[in-house]
Amino acid sequence: MIIAIHFTTDPIVIPRSSLPNREIGAVVEFHGIVRELESAAPIDGLNYEAYEPMARKVLEKHLLDLHAIHGCDAVHFIHRLGWVPVGEASLYLRVMSSHRAEALRFLADAIDRLKLDVPIWKISTT
Amino acid sequence: MPCSDSTHTGSMDESEITLLAFASARENLGFSTRSLAVNRAETPLDILRRIAPDANIENLRVALDCEFSDWHTPVGHARELAFIPPVSGG
Repeated sequence: MIIAIHFTTDPIVIPRSSLPNREIGAVVEFHGIVRELESAAPIDGLNYEAYEPMARKVLEKHLLDLHAIHGCDAVHFIHRLGWVPVGEASLYLRVMSSHRAEALRFLADAIDRLKLDVPIWKISTT
Repeated sequence: MPCSDSTHTGSMDESEITLLAFASARENLGFSTRSLAVNRAETPLDILRRIAPDANIENLRVALDCEFSDWHTPVGHARELAFIPPVSGG
């Protein structure tokens, strides 16, 4: 499986989508957008920080585990760090697979695991 | 093998460890990174009690060289001890 993990302090740019093989039948994308309410309080945006080398390590292990469970051919992960205004994406995830079912399950599980123990934090400044 | 290249400029004394504190841990402990001389038999809890005797460790995890560890395992030859509060990425 192709794994691409990127952290950026810039607005997320959707990476060009090249199919790793001709068996790809499903490309599932997820954009995590900063909403204007955080714990019911209005915000202008969120600050994100990461313990980047550990975040890469923990995330890659999760993605490899999920590959063993669901299969899938490629996953592209981008997390934005620093200040992210409301309405902009802090997270982008793309999963490619032969069939939609495993791609959707892989994506959902990957986000759940991200929120479990990948050392990235959002800090609201209200 | 330390995992954060940025925290290791120049040679580090064998007895030194780099402490990293993120997000709410930084707020509570009052530092984001600092270097500390340690006894390699010390545990993360021993070290924390030395620098912040009253720190609340509830929900706080620790990592040694980017690997989750626990409060009671000696740091051994680890070069980096990170205090990891509950995560909230995504």
